[in-house]
Amino acid sequence: MSEVLVRVENIKKHFAGTRKFFSREREIVKAVDGLTFDIIQGETLSLVGESGCGKSTTGRVLLKLLEPTEGSIHFDDQEITHLNENELRPYRKEMQMVFQDPYASLNPRMKVKEIIEEPLIVHGIDAATRKKRVNELLETVGLNTYHGNRYPHEFSGGQRQRIGIARALAVNPRLIIADEPVSALDVSIQAQILNLLKDLQEEYELTYLFISHDLSVVEHVSDRVAVMYLGKIVELGSKTQIFENPLHPYTKALLSAVPIANPRLKRERIVLKGDIPNPANPPSGCAFHTRCPFATERCKVEEPKYESYGDQHFAACHFVEELA
Amino acid sequence: MVEHVLEVNDLQTHFYSDAGVVRAVDGVSFSIKKGETLGIVGESGSGKSVTSLSIMRLLRDTPGKIAGGEIVYNGRNLVEAKESEMRKIRGNEIAMIFQEPMTSLNPVFKIGRQIEEAILLHTKCTKQQARERAIEMLTAVGISRPDKVVDSFPHQLSGGMRQRVMIAMAMSCDPQLLIADEPTTALDVTIQAQILELMKKLTVDFETSILLITHDLGVVAEMCDRVVVMYAGRAVEESDVYTIFENPKHPYTQGLLASTLTLGEKVERLQSIPGNVPIPSKMPEGCKFAPRCPHAMERCWAEEPTYDAYSENHHVRCFLYEEEAK
Repeated sequence: MSEVLVRVENIKKHFAGTRKFFSREREIVKAVDGLTFDIIQGETLSLVGESGCGKSTTGRVLLKLLEPTEGSIHFDDQEITHLNENELRPYRKEMQMVFQDPYASLNPRMKVKEIIEEPLIVHGIDAATRKKRVNELLETVGLNTYHGNRYPHEFSGGQRQRIGIARALAVNPRLIIADEPVSALDVSIQAQILNLLKDLQEEYELTYLFISHDLSVVEHVSDRVAVMYLGKIVELGSKTQIFENPLHPYTKALLSAVPIANPRLKRERIVLKGDIPNPANPPSGCAFHTRCPFATERCKVEEPKYESYGDQHFAACHFVEELA
Repeated sequence: MVEHVLEVNDLQTHFYSDAGVVRAVDGVSFSIKKGETLGIVGESGSGKSVTSLSIMRLLRDTPGKIAGGEIVYNGRNLVEAKESEMRKIRGNEIAMIFQEPMTSLNPVFKIGRQIEEAILLHTKCTKQQARERAIEMLTAVGISRPDKVVDSFPHQLSGGMRQRVMIAMAMSCDPQLLIADEPTTALDVTIQAQILELMKKLTVDFETSILLITHDLGVVAEMCDRVVVMYAGRAVEESDVYTIFENPKHPYTQGLLASTLTLGEKVERLQSIPGNVPIPSKMPEGCKFAPRCPHAMERCWAEEPTYDAYSENHHVRCFLYEEEAK
């Protein structure tokens, strides 16, 4: 049995929104509403979904950048849910993050070598080792050592993303949470960064939690995929299960909505009606019923259970068997 | 002879700044037939948006100027058209939709008023008729409860609905040409699918020609009849959509296609184009793609290739095909 690195049980993250009109009550946005999943050592697990589905919040809760409202997070069999900042520090070294926007996530007033060095200082590594490590890291991510003396604005988007990756790698983490790492990049550069992430995973035996809205990227990088809709996982399975045998109607619609770079391909497309509902006021029953082409009366009142359909393939829909 | 709605010949749009001249568009030629959808693809900084702004002559408030070439719309050269003439064309004969449905609607006016504005400006009709037309257009773009939406403000609508409103506004005067600059980039995939379906339906119903600017090759494959590939301000290849995807000639087009991920296609390792898009102040001397090109020859560094017809329907800017082109 492969080793579980992170175990997430029923985590919820609710945000207090604006106060309701003439009321003391606050509107509650259930950004993440009861997620349970494992991340296995050495794998890439992807979270996919559209804007507002809670995928980024999940990443932040795992890193404890946000305090979960409920539920527990285990890292390497240790519960880290309620640890304070000091107790958490050794775990921070094990999990690092790569952000979406390579323009906003690097301090413009620091030199590249200082940016990469910073996590090493925090974790108390001596100056000589730090210097050596920074140069090593620059080369690992495909930059030159002389780049260390420059400032972020001197680099292109792709190069900045490499700097962000070097910073994440500095403390030898085991888990990297990559939140839309290639969404801001042009296709030709996107391919460079995806290849780099793949090489690094092999070389350093990294585990990735890959957050993305782009299904073609997800298919390329993942071992397993979790599809999210309005704060919940609606389907989770291996890459093959999700892309070749999707069970949930949302996954099917999402896959059929992706434009494919082949002009001869004529597909029957499932076009969903309507918009993504407001997470502050999610629909009753199955949250997807307002847009689902197969929704029945039952879907409006009863929330479907998240159940296994064999071989580690999970889905939350009343009619998985009927729709197969 | 096929009728062209729009013909762009060797367009040059330059930006003048203290640091020097930036040739954002430097040699772009293409033409659009009636009812055709032409795609312009390219990465950021390739000059595709500046091309569309040049056609609409919307560069007045920028340091940009059309420095050469011609834009022929129904027999008239728009480069020389007066501002008053342009005002009659904009929104009436050529309409445009932008990438950001959030920022391209005025937040302080109701949706209805914003759609009516163009109708009242370009057609002879009463306010009442304009309002009816606005509701009719909102229905045509698939907005439910259009009679409510005309009286809403932009912030009350979702991103997908705002983009529908933008399309309704653009189509309200039956334009001959619709310029769509990354119309679905800011939207989620399921909403993108809705908007693309809608645009396809409109080209059939209204026989509108579309100039679609995008970086997404999937969208191009789905929507376009013909494709122009741009790199560093130049058109580097043009052909029908099948030829571009199945038999691309320019090394940049080939690289772009190879580095694009396609759903259901299993690749172990992605091909990528080494290096970065050149920045305007450090443009290479000869072919602008030479520093990243796997086939670059000595000549490519010194001399810029011309944009030649490889076959009747296929233009390429590359020395590799010079012999064949002649």
